[in-house]
Parts: sequence; structure tokens; C-alpha cells
Amino acid sequence: MYDLSSVVEFDALREVRPGSSILISGPAMTGKERLAYDILADGARNGDGAVVVTTSDKAEDVVTDFRELVPELNDSQLGVIDCRGEGSSGGSFEGAYVHQVSSPSDLTGIGIGITKALEGLHNSGRERGRLALVSLSTMLTYTDKKTVFKFCHVLSSRLDAADYIGVFTIDSGAHDEQTIQVIKQAFDGLIEVRDADGGGRESRVLGLSGEPTDWKRL
Amino acid sequence: MSESDPPVVLIVEDEPDVAETYKLWLEGEYEVRMAQNGDEGLELLDGSVDVVLLDRMMPGLSGDEVLSRIRERELDCRVAMVTAVEPDFDILEMGFDAYLSKPIRSEQLHETVTNLLDRSEYDSMLQEYYALVEKRATLEATKSGAELAENDQYEELDDEIEEMRDGLSDTLGGIEDDDDFIATLRGLSNGEEN
Repeated sequence: MYDLSSVVEFDALREVRPGSSILISGPAMTGKERLAYDILADGARNGDGAVVVTTSDKAEDVVTDFRELVPELNDSQLGVIDCRGEGSSGGSFEGAYVHQVSSPSDLTGIGIGITKALEGLHNSGRERGRLALVSLSTMLTYTDKKTVFKFCHVLSSRLDAADYIGVFTIDSGAHDEQTIQVIKQAFDGLIEVRDADGGGRESRVLGLSGEPTDWKRL
Repeated sequence: MSESDPPVVLIVEDEPDVAETYKLWLEGEYEVRMAQNGDEGLELLDGSVDVVLLDRMMPGLSGDEVLSRIRERELDCRVAMVTAVEPDFDILEMGFDAYLSKPIRSEQLHETVTNLLDRSEYDSMLQEYYALVEKRATLEATKSGAELAENDQYEELDDEIEEMRDGLSDTLGGIEDDDDFIATLRGLSNGEEN
């Protein structure tokens, strides 16, 4: 089981089954990305592998930021798949595996990057891990919601086989209601984030165990 | 693929002995078609073919060329490339669904064909699943919670989706294999325009 409650304090996140995929949804600038990275970093501090699929940040920046979040990060504990479209190649940066994909719509390329990252983590003896995809909103601008839905489903299935958990972010304000409803259904659970009245942020959890939780300050 | 007809396997192989061997292994379970070269293979290929066993090294049209023609025609068939060398991930990107290294054993051939048929089944189930999910999302986006609660169609959809979800995880038991994973993703990219 994965305990995410030290990152977001909800009982529903205390025992997340390996293979679960969680969608983090909320408007722009509500810290969804940071939350996803925190979930990965929290695991990495306890020895979990970490895989980041990024459509917005440079792989090198992700590695650097992650090393700051987790100073004790080991070599080959992190894999980054950079889908911003800066060419396609594989390599490493400061001990992390880095794979460049030609475009956020190149699902095969993303799959190959993830496969190689998982393989590397597995070979270095890590049997648990967390994957973050930031963000589905970019992917939705490059391809249709049907393809993204299926992609999420297939990826979740792969993560399930690896006993990993996945966290995916989506900007709820960037898509119509129906698109959000469709994408949501590819996931086992949902963490919703919003701006709280009077400043700050709050979140709630839906779908992982039992009824939706109440909104709670982050 | 209808339930009564056996799946159709097309063997494209220039060595008659080898082709004949594959045929012997498969013909009990499948309808087998044989082509001696790429051109003939493309002629015998139609919508009823489920799996193509494609030799990579052939005189005339090469396996690679045949494969790209197949992909251009957007046929719903799975292609297993038969090669003398073990390809790596980069070659998987070329667009075949499986590879078999020569020489092939009977067991291996059966396993590959079964696996490819399972994956087709997974894809069409995923397609169907998506259609249901989209329908439900449309209802959810247009009706209030109270309206949904007393909507029979919505309730039915819920049950169907639940059933389909279980079916999907049973079909492939998840995507266990890296090759499965990548080939399934490749299939999604190809199907984008549908």
C-alpha cells in the first residue's frame, strides 16, 4: 500500500492500493503540479522509484528541482520523459534517466520512454514507485479526448502490472465539462484542488474509498 | 471477427518449406492464407485478415515496405514481423505489433497469434468502453444530480460500464508486457483520426 496522507492529509489517501491511478484536477495556479511532485518526492525519500512525464518543464529542470526536494536521491532513482518536442533521444542527466519525445501526441514515444525508465528502476532493485504525468491538459491540446482517455487507461494498466501508482494533473478550467467528466473516468480516484475563500487552497478526495471527503485546507 | 468463423492468419513468406510448416501448425485453429511475396501478400489482404505473419527479408517488396502499405490502408489487422535478429525498442516504433525471431517454434507461433488476437479484443473492448463512458459523461454534463438519480438510462449505463471495466482487466490481465504496452499505444496513435 502507498501512504499519501503525509502529503495530503486525508484518511482516504492512507492506504492507496498499488496499481491505482489518481487524477489531480483544479483550475490554473492552484499547485496541482507541485502536489504531484510532492507525492513523488515523498515516495523517493522512502526509496520508491520516481518517473516524471512532463509536457511543460525541461527534463534537466525537473531533475534539478527534484534533487532539491529530495537531497538524498540516489542515482537511477528518477526517470524523466520530456515530451515538449525537443527532439527524440535517450540519455542521462545528473544520474537520472532522461528520455526526449518528439511531441506530446507521440504516445508510442512516451510509452518507450516510460518502459525504459521503469526497466532502469526495476534493474536497480526498486520494486515500488510512483509516476507523475504533468499535464494531461497539454496532451489534450495535441490530441483528442478519446485518445487521451485510452492512453490513460492503457498506462494505468501498465502501472498496475508494475505495482506503481500514478498521479496525473489536469487543468479543470481549460476544458469543457464533458471532457473533464470523460477523462476522470479513466482513474481510480480524484484529488480536487481549488482556491479557498479568504486565500489559500483546499482540496478533497473522491473515489478512492467510500464517499467523497469534505473540502479541507491544504 | 464473428464468433463462428475462425480467425484468419495470412502468412507472407518466400521460403515454401517454412511457410508450409507455419501452415501445418496453425491450420487446425485458424483459416490460413499463404503468399510467397509482398505483392501477393497485399493482394490477399482484406478486412477479414486478423493476423499477418510477415517475413522481413524477401525478394521484391521487403517486409518493411509491406508493413507500411498495410498501415497506409488502415486495416484492422495485427502484424507479426518475422526477423532473423532480435529488434530493440526503436524497431518496435516501426509499427509492427510483435516480432518473432527465426527459427520459430510451434509453441511460440501459437502464443504470438493468440496474444495478438487478445490484443485486438482488448482494443475493441476499450473502444466500446470509451463509447459508454462518453455517453455517461454527456448525461452528467447536461443533467442535474437529481435528474440523473431517476434516469433509467443512466443507471443502465453505470452497470454496463462496471461490467466492461471488469471485462477489460480480465481480457489482457492488464498490460503485462512491454511489447504489449508499446504496441497498444501505437494502435491508439493510429486510431486517432477515427
